[in-house]
Amino acid sequence: MSNTMDFFTAMEVSASGLAAERTRMNVAASNLANAQTTQAAGGGPYKRKDVVLSSTDVPGAAGTPFAQAVRGVAVSQISQDASPPRLEYDPGHPQANAQGYVAYPNVNPVEEMVDMITASRAYEAGITTMSTAVNMAERALGIGK
Amino acid sequence: MALDLSTIDSLEAALTYHRERHTVLAGNVANLDTPGFRPLDLARPHEGSASQLAVDAPGHIASVESPQVVTSFDDGGGLQGADGNAVSLERELAKIDANRARYATAAELVSRRLAMLRYAAGDGT
Repeated sequence: MSNTMDFFTAMEVSASGLAAERTRMNVAASNLANAQTTQAAGGGPYKRKDVVLSSTDVPGAAGTPFAQAVRGVAVSQISQDASPPRLEYDPGHPQANAQGYVAYPNVNPVEEMVDMITASRAYEAGITTMSTAVNMAERALGIGK
Repeated sequence: MALDLSTIDSLEAALTYHRERHTVLAGNVANLDTPGFRPLDLARPHEGSASQLAVDAPGHIASVESPQVVTSFDDGGGLQGADGNAVSLERELAKIDANRARYATAAELVSRRLAMLRYAAGDGT
């Protein structure tokens, strides 16, 4: 049958979701690791990173009548959180300013943990969806046995 | 009773539809965290004559004689979050599993049809 798509398209869609969730996990881990970094590249404290996701077309579905209904996902941008740094009074710190305050990153560990948990759950859902596609493909292979 | 092999064609259409629907539902799960994303689904509208079986439930498949037009529609989804995303994970996973079960049913029916044919063509063992 022409103008149709196979199970690999479904797996491609799920894989795009898994990759996006993994990126979210990496970025949250990076934010947590740098929660106390007062001197980042480019000067000043580390700035919290945020993943921006957007839905994409899927090459495997191109040409089908409902290609627009098959949506993958991709990381369109990793943006920097523009909120101000957290100031702590520590005059002895080498990075303290004239008033004795040290600028710490605008990272809230609780927020990052929540992000990691939601990314992890979404990853699991993607794995489940992909397993279902594999299961369905196996059922098709079993026809006539 | 004659062995009606045209049911295998109907079942093939069902298998194709459920496979394609799975791909669309997988896209909903992949976009679980995409701002502004609204979940999609596939519908197969029925324009058949009265002699054909009625298609009056979401899982029903039109018989092969009717036009096989597949359209996608905005599923509505669950409550919209602060980022405009309306995908409900539980709802999507429930639909995916129901879709998988329907696919398995159609696959099993094809197998049974072929088994009957094999039985008829063989020496009856």
